[in-house]
Amino acid sequence: MLEILIDLLALAVGAGFIGAISGLGGGVFIVPALVIVAHMPMKVAVGASLISVVATSAGASVAFVRDGWTNLKVAMVLECATVTGAVIGAYLAGVVPTVVLELLFAAMMLQSAYFTVTKRGDDILTKGDPLAERLELSGEVPDLSGNSVHYEVVNVPQGGALMVVAGLMSGLLGIGSGALKVMAMDYIMHLPLKVSSATSNFMIGVTAGAGALVFLARGDVATTIAAPVAIGVTVGALAGSRVLPHLKVEALRTVFVIILLLIAAEMGWRALSGI
Amino acid sequence: MPKQEEDRILREWTPILLRTILIAAMVTLVAGLVLTYTFAPDYYVERYQAVQHGRLIGKETLGLLFDRVRQGNPHAVLTIGLFVLTLVPLARVAFCFLLFIRERDYTYVALTAYVLAGLIVGVLAGSAG
Repeated sequence: MLEILIDLLALAVGAGFIGAISGLGGGVFIVPALVIVAHMPMKVAVGASLISVVATSAGASVAFVRDGWTNLKVAMVLECATVTGAVIGAYLAGVVPTVVLELLFAAMMLQSAYFTVTKRGDDILTKGDPLAERLELSGEVPDLSGNSVHYEVVNVPQGGALMVVAGLMSGLLGIGSGALKVMAMDYIMHLPLKVSSATSNFMIGVTAGAGALVFLARGDVATTIAAPVAIGVTVGALAGSRVLPHLKVEALRTVFVIILLLIAAEMGWRALSGI
Repeated sequence: MPKQEEDRILREWTPILLRTILIAAMVTLVAGLVLTYTFAPDYYVERYQAVQHGRLIGKETLGLLFDRVRQGNPHAVLTIGLFVLTLVPLARVAFCFLLFIRERDYTYVALTAYVLAGLIVGVLAGSAG
């Protein structure tokens, strides 16, 4: 038993660590690690991953809450969309063929790779659209010199639509869909990067929590796997966030992209060859 | 209560609440694994291999689960640990719900209630599915 435990913990610590330093979250790496290395069925990997995404989001959010960048109102509006998507996704995960899940996973890896290579910059708006103003979504964020900058929000329905997709993917594939969420908030809704990262982290926990509850209630979480994986991913993520300030993430970007492309290729190959 | 005071309470209490639940879940999971290793290592290996072949235990009612915990079943302790972990996001949403009620911001009370309801529907959909 000790051997199995050590293997699972090592896989999970590694996935949590890479997830934290790449900013993509542990789920993106733990699902392929369990499927490819530990030879687990996709459904088991998804269930265990959802639980560990909840754990890492909770760990990271302690720091984010203290900084105060999370926009609770934006989170709550978009959470309506992601939770709806996640519950439907997690429900469908019980009936959708594994081939479809593997292909979708490969597609999400390509999206994450694209997210990793895209340079992002803040495009702060001073005028929001009427719906965003009615929902009072604007906020304040400190700039580089520490001054408070006011930002406005636009395109709530479009952002919400993408969030339903992010939630669906989360429930189906056991990932936090952080890359998709941050993209929706950055590009579509024009939130500042710090705000979208912190808000996305809050949302990831709730979205994955919704999916995890469906899996747990259905009896689709293999405790034997999920327990050590949750512990390992949390430890790995904590270690990752500690060393992150000392790393040259720019230099590692290529490595992350290569890993993501390899995972996409392997998952795609599995789906097409029917392994 | 002034807005800044509420912000301060939210900012100070949320991390404490989150950390407490997270630590409780982790302690339960580690305890469950230690108990499994001490009392039922063969069962663990058997379950691990069964899961590799896609055979899961399946649904358990909460009552049955607590009965097993009382009997000191290590596996049930692990399941409880996982449930406690999923309480973290639930607690955070519930906290926001209370905050919006306090602020009498009824649009957001409704939106947060929808999110909470979604989480509950998830459990029901899972139990039925």
